[in-house]
Amino acid sequence: MGIVRFIVKRLISMIITISVVLAVSFLMMHYSPNSFFSSTTLASGMGNLQFQDPKLYQQYITMFENRYGMNKPIYDQVLSYVWNSLTFNFGNSFENPTMPIMTQLKESLPISIELSLGSVILAVIIGLPLGVLAALYRNSWIDSLLTTFSMIGQAIPAFVFAVILVLLFGVVWPGVVPINGWGTFADAILPTIALCVGNIGVVTRYMRGSLIESMRQDYIRTAKAKGVPYWPLVWKHGIRNSLTAMVTVIGPTFAFTVVGTVWVENIFSIPGLGTLMSGAFVNDDIPLAITSVFILSLMVMGVNLLVDLSYALMDPRVKLEA
Amino acid sequence: MTQELLRVTDLKTEFQRGDEKVYTVNGVSFSLREGETLGIVGESGSGKSVTVHSMLGLLQGAGKVSSGQAIFQNRVDLLQLRRKQLEDIRGRDIGVIFQDPMTSLNPTMRIGNQIMEGMLTHQYASRKKAFERTLDLLHEVGIPEPKARFRNFPFEFSGGMRQRVMIAMAIACEPQLLIADEPTTALDVTVQMQILALMQKLKQDRKMSVLMITHDFGVATNFCDRILVMYGGKVMEAASLDTFIRRPLHPYTIALKSSIIEVGDRHKKLQAIPGMAKVWNAPPHHCPFYERCTFATQQCLKEVPELTQVDDQEDHWLACHHVEEVLKSVG
Amino acid sequence: MAVVMTNVAATKRKKRSQWGLAFRRYRRNKLAVFGLIWVALFLLIGVIGPYIAPYNYQTANFLAANSPPSLAHIFGTDNLGHDMFSEIIWSVQNALEIAFGATLVSFLIGIVLGMWAGLRGGLADLIIMRLVDSMFAIPTYFLDLILVVSFGRGMGPILLAIGITGWASYARLIRSQVLSMRNSDMVEAARSLGASQTQIAWRYVLPNVMNSMVVALAFGIPGDLTVMAGLSVVGMGLRPPLPSFGNMLAQSGVNVLGYPWLMYFPAIVFAITLLSFLFVADGLQEALNPKG
Repeated sequence: MGIVRFIVKRLISMIITISVVLAVSFLMMHYSPNSFFSSTTLASGMGNLQFQDPKLYQQYITMFENRYGMNKPIYDQVLSYVWNSLTFNFGNSFENPTMPIMTQLKESLPISIELSLGSVILAVIIGLPLGVLAALYRNSWIDSLLTTFSMIGQAIPAFVFAVILVLLFGVVWPGVVPINGWGTFADAILPTIALCVGNIGVVTRYMRGSLIESMRQDYIRTAKAKGVPYWPLVWKHGIRNSLTAMVTVIGPTFAFTVVGTVWVENIFSIPGLGTLMSGAFVNDDIPLAITSVFILSLMVMGVNLLVDLSYALMDPRVKLEA
Repeated sequence: MTQELLRVTDLKTEFQRGDEKVYTVNGVSFSLREGETLGIVGESGSGKSVTVHSMLGLLQGAGKVSSGQAIFQNRVDLLQLRRKQLEDIRGRDIGVIFQDPMTSLNPTMRIGNQIMEGMLTHQYASRKKAFERTLDLLHEVGIPEPKARFRNFPFEFSGGMRQRVMIAMAIACEPQLLIADEPTTALDVTVQMQILALMQKLKQDRKMSVLMITHDFGVATNFCDRILVMYGGKVMEAASLDTFIRRPLHPYTIALKSSIIEVGDRHKKLQAIPGMAKVWNAPPHHCPFYERCTFATQQCLKEVPELTQVDDQEDHWLACHHVEEVLKSVG
Repeated sequence: MAVVMTNVAATKRKKRSQWGLAFRRYRRNKLAVFGLIWVALFLLIGVIGPYIAPYNYQTANFLAANSPPSLAHIFGTDNLGHDMFSEIIWSVQNALEIAFGATLVSFLIGIVLGMWAGLRGGLADLIIMRLVDSMFAIPTYFLDLILVVSFGRGMGPILLAIGITGWASYARLIRSQVLSMRNSDMVEAARSLGASQTQIAWRYVLPNVMNSMVVALAFGIPGDLTVMAGLSVVGMGLRPPLPSFGNMLAQSGVNVLGYPWLMYFPAIVFAITLLSFLFVADGLQEALNPKG
């Protein structure tokens, strides 16, 4: 089966890409002026301990360097860092030296997955019918309304929607739905809407174009000539063929949504991986920051692989080639 | 004389293209008897495909039938039917084969299902019967191993094979009328002949009437009982095959005939018709062929020639002011 | 000779009318015209903003902190007493510099790599396209974050960070256009007349891919504006007191219950701006690459 070969090839290229990203990230941060990797930053963090008790200070430094492997040569550090990440052995963060990063991930990652995947699925469920509607009633008022709305949804990023929603439900209609936190179903409503609006726009627009394109094809005329009535025609010949093209847009949309999730989590104070990541970046907590990027990128790559596989399953003409 | 199956009268179709109107079919009339094969011949842009698309409600884009009748089986006017009624006729009583087998089949649907679809739509057969019939049809149109091929997708077929599938689709419900819209144009010459032979056989086996649209005079003379020559959305000449070969009378027909290359005929002077078919932004108010005709006179510019019978004995119709001159020059 | 002459004249006329047609098509799209007006206004404010802003962005008037819109501060003030109207005007300038600069950087990298891959083919093509694929494999926003950490949070560093991660789509577009051009009759003819690779690139390929480039750039600018503001949302944008839309939006979230004006003015201006850029891009696409 070509499918196994395809998956293996894709996994290998994923590993290469992500390793390069990890290595580059590590190096960039290592050599950045205010890096936590440099023990000078560490030193300044410990105030005047250096002068009060130089011996203890030196012990601290050595302990720190040992724990994070900073006394090894740089290529060794890079390689072991990449290897550890690939084997999901992330170690501890700087901010929370006693808590393994893995523990933090276990709490925050499911929230981010729920949010991003949920909003993409919801957007597809809502956007597909809207796109079909716009395509079938092309150039009518309903089409221009939907097209304009989806353009607005696409142009304005999730954080602006989020901010506007906070304004609406915090100031204009306070108390209707919670504007921050996480835990209940109600908490998920506003963040999901903020993430969804843009995606609905993308899906609607793409479905519209794709359906218009396939309804223009010769095989539609053939099916008509067979006497296939309108709705079966639209469904079996139009929509089915445009859905295959639709699948390809899911990949980029998901990538976009993952970034949107990071923003939305920050604005609605949701304890997901996005909030964890931004905190790590702001506090120069390098291990946690790179690990978050690593995990989120892995998520995006995984979904992309699934998308390509389902594309190949849906369109018989596609040969799986990595 | 056999019964009339289809009578088209004064069919007119126009397209809205941006701000202007394009008059594509400008009053076409013809009739087709049961079991007869009628060829509609003309250059691209002569309105021949649009004529049949108009009849079947298959016009794409901003095309609109503005007048005319198309009486089918002496009972219904296809142009007056509601969508639902027309859908019942399409595929069941009238089967259609299109030009390009590469794009005319749904790329993501198994070919067996595409053949079955028409039968199931018209409740012509149960699912099980339709499946068996599909295998028979595939066999009949010359596709080996129908069982295995049933589950194939169009991209796994060559152009000729796809056209065979198209034919199987068109005849699935045993229609009385088969419309073939340039069925061989997109194919290689050798494949063309095979497909024509196949259609010939199917036609004879089932006593189907066929309406064959082609720009290829050779194909028409090989396949048809009667031929209709169209130009500028109007019928220029209509006659039996015999008459056409023996004594074509319209200057356009003559020009068309002398522009075909015949194998082995190295001495014949090959003549291209000067100019190009024109786009009509108003209904023709002079003979459509006026600009390119060697016999043209002031009269041709003033009056549109009517389609009239040449003489009472023959079924030979002509739309030209200059029969005598043409006769003289042909000798 | 005469025939040749008239032909030349005809092509010239055609060329002019092509732009004329594009312009007319553009004008028909009302949203695109509105977008263009707003974008023009935005550009104007970006240039003359510092001269017309009533206050400097560093002027903090603690006595007037958190005051609602009034005659003195028509958009109100924030918690440090910055005049929001002036903040927005200064933000426009920063936003423009970074968005245009970053897009330019991305575009230049993309055009060089895309042309190289397309014209050279072979190993160069393979490597560059692999690179493009990897850039598409992960959200570039994350790379931006990492770059900002190591470059810093000033104007230049952020511009550069966004710029050097955004080139992949340009490279891919240019490569595909070059590939289709490379096999065209025109380039074939030029090559047979002895034109060099570089000559072909600049004289034949580039002018012919200009239309799609213009459209791609028009879509790129609002994209970079979004990324820039998005960096501020997670606290990695322009370091305050440098004013930016992202900072204003991110800050306003904290204070929304008490001081909503801190939110709606920046949010509305920013949203309309992004929309306008997109309307312009969409209008350009329709006008330059009409699809019948």
